[in-house]
Amino acid sequence: MSDTPLDPLVAAVIHDAKNALMSLDTQLAGLGERRPGADIAAARDSTQRIAGQLTELLTLYRAQRGQLRLVIDDRDLHDFIDDLLAELGPLPAGKTLAVDRSAAGSLGAWAFDAHLVRLALLDALRNALRHAAGRVTLTLDRPEEGGLRLSVADDGPGYPDELLNGTEDIASSHGTGLGLAFARIIAARHTTPDGRQGRVELANRPGARFSLVLP
Amino acid sequence: MDLFGKRGLLIEDNGDMRASLRAQLAAAGLEQCETARNVKEAVDRLHRARPDLVVCDYNLGQGTDGQQFLELVRRKKLLPLSCAFLMVTGENSYEQVATAAEYTPDDYLLKPFTAETLATRLGRILDKKSALMPIYRWMGAKPDPAKAIVACDELLTADQRYTLDIQRLKGELLLAAGRAEEALAHYAAILAQRATPWAFVGQARSLVALGREDEARAQLEQALIAYPNYLAAYDLLAGLVAKTDKDAAQQIVEQALKVAPSTQRTRELGSLAMANGDFERAESAYKRVVDKDRSGFFKSHDDYAGLAKSCVEQGKTGEALAAVKDMGAAFSRSPELEARQAALECQAHSKAGNADAAKAALERALTVQKDAKLDASTALEVAQACFSGGRTDEAKAIIQHVAENHHEDDDVLARAQGVFAAAGLHDEGTVFLEATKKRMIKLNNDAVGLAKSGDIDQAIAMLTEAADRLTNNAQIALNAALALLMHVHKNGPDEDRIARAHHYLQQAIAANPAHPKLDEVGNFYRKVAPPGSPALELE
Repeated sequence: MSDTPLDPLVAAVIHDAKNALMSLDTQLAGLGERRPGADIAAARDSTQRIAGQLTELLTLYRAQRGQLRLVIDDRDLHDFIDDLLAELGPLPAGKTLAVDRSAAGSLGAWAFDAHLVRLALLDALRNALRHAAGRVTLTLDRPEEGGLRLSVADDGPGYPDELLNGTEDIASSHGTGLGLAFARIIAARHTTPDGRQGRVELANRPGARFSLVLP
Repeated sequence: MDLFGKRGLLIEDNGDMRASLRAQLAAAGLEQCETARNVKEAVDRLHRARPDLVVCDYNLGQGTDGQQFLELVRRKKLLPLSCAFLMVTGENSYEQVATAAEYTPDDYLLKPFTAETLATRLGRILDKKSALMPIYRWMGAKPDPAKAIVACDELLTADQRYTLDIQRLKGELLLAAGRAEEALAHYAAILAQRATPWAFVGQARSLVALGREDEARAQLEQALIAYPNYLAAYDLLAGLVAKTDKDAAQQIVEQALKVAPSTQRTRELGSLAMANGDFERAESAYKRVVDKDRSGFFKSHDDYAGLAKSCVEQGKTGEALAAVKDMGAAFSRSPELEARQAALECQAHSKAGNADAAKAALERALTVQKDAKLDASTALEVAQACFSGGRTDEAKAIIQHVAENHHEDDDVLARAQGVFAAAGLHDEGTVFLEATKKRMIKLNNDAVGLAKSGDIDQAIAMLTEAADRLTNNAQIALNAALALLMHVHKNGPDEDRIARAHHYLQQAIAANPAHPKLDEVGNFYRKVAPPGSPALELE
């Protein structure tokens, strides 16, 4: 999908649609305060998911046009995970999420674009919650070769082999493939002056595990 | 952390938004909160309210923004480091806020957000501020970097959570304390653990402080490949490159402006473009600075002068005179304004060949110049007008006085050199200014030598004569005070010399409150002055 350029008009319409969705979400939040209920929570969930996808699409568009700007700055990792979980909201019925952030304590903070990385992880978490049999884990750790690894794993059937060995057209079987394309661009745009670069790793162990490694 | 019991200041120009933010803050427990509609009100409130936290919208109307406000209050130390500063921004200005270089808000929040998010973010900042308080204590109005560094080290052994923040502060403090070798090692140790943009820039700053500018430049160029939006790296690099290649420096500033527009960088661009003879670009840059800020709060005489002069150079006399007129409308009356306007008019008329009008304007400028003690920029403008009116000797006399008053200030000396260069006297200017600087250094050294060899009276005579003539030279005033105090120390207190030492110390504080020798001489004064002597008043 990253080979298909987006028309500027389409991009502008997507931008407007995304903003409209976000104000719809604010209205739903107000409604939810006056009249709490599972239906409104579900509506907000859908709204946020679509708004998130549109944001990803716009980000890819800007990347193609050389206009994507990362803001790399230190982010407290505890705060980052807290914000991520708050934005994810309540879990679907029957699903659990375990968070292992033990590495956050010793690292404290890490330098990355928190806004974009949060979007990528939100997408991965929502995806994992959809495919999981019951349990999803979010893990933050330091790989031996350096950097910071943020992993989302589920206990579902795992990625198809074609996706893992890269022979499959992502768009055909695994949703639109937008989230993965987005995560790969965001990861690759994280570089360091000594030449290291971020990446996305996919594995089945045996459920699907998505990892975003930041240099 | 609860916001209950905290004092807040909310800055937002839009009435509805202000009310809504105020309600959100109240919901978060903040009862005491002043509000301000614009930058001017905000500065007034700051003096009064001494807030623990500031919530500021990025867009403040009239062409002003929250980033300008933050830079102003941090630079003038109107806002203690312990005060939390949260910038609120829409999507459109998010990148400008997030990429701010030197003065960054403690956090920023993208609209729209809930009261809960606002409270969480403010609470986080306040928690961090209170953890770092032992360091901030020594970074306020009377900074003591050495003590602040000790506080950093103590916290680093005790605190896990804010390690990186503490290390960042420590690096800046080491540089402020002139401990560049330690700073370099400090940044290298951080970079061995992780890559983060500020540590690369800190490493480059350390290299600059050690005189290793070529290495610093290479570092920064490397850093910008990985962090093409890190403005602090552009700013430092542009400053280094400008020393040898102003054209290349202009390109770097242009690049930084593409990342995020900024008044200060646009001004810098104007100045570089002027020096490069790129008058069209200089005009558009200064015009942007002058037009953007409709509040008049962030503009200076220099901005209008830059605009007028870039027009003069292009032969646009009408536009130049219009800029001079606008300048009069933008600022309140002062001798500086009057002299600056007259000097610029003179330059415009000279260039256009209107000899009579030029002469009349120059006379007006010189009349103000004789009666008032003008600041360096204004005096140099009058000197430039003298050159353009053919009155070379008067021009040189003014420049000499400015250079003698500011012989330690490289910025002023560079401006003085610019005036010579504009008059086509580049080489003569270099020799003239170098000689002036050497003469001032020799005067100080000779006097200190005399005092040390026992002839304190002669040293006092030399230094007080110079200090009375050069009231803006902090070093001379400090040495005059020092010589007087040495006399008191040796021969016992006498009221007259104590009073004169006090006078020269105050003169030095007024000229440069951050002079590195001020502490030493101030402490000597407190030691030798008997009880009941006048106390030193810091700015």
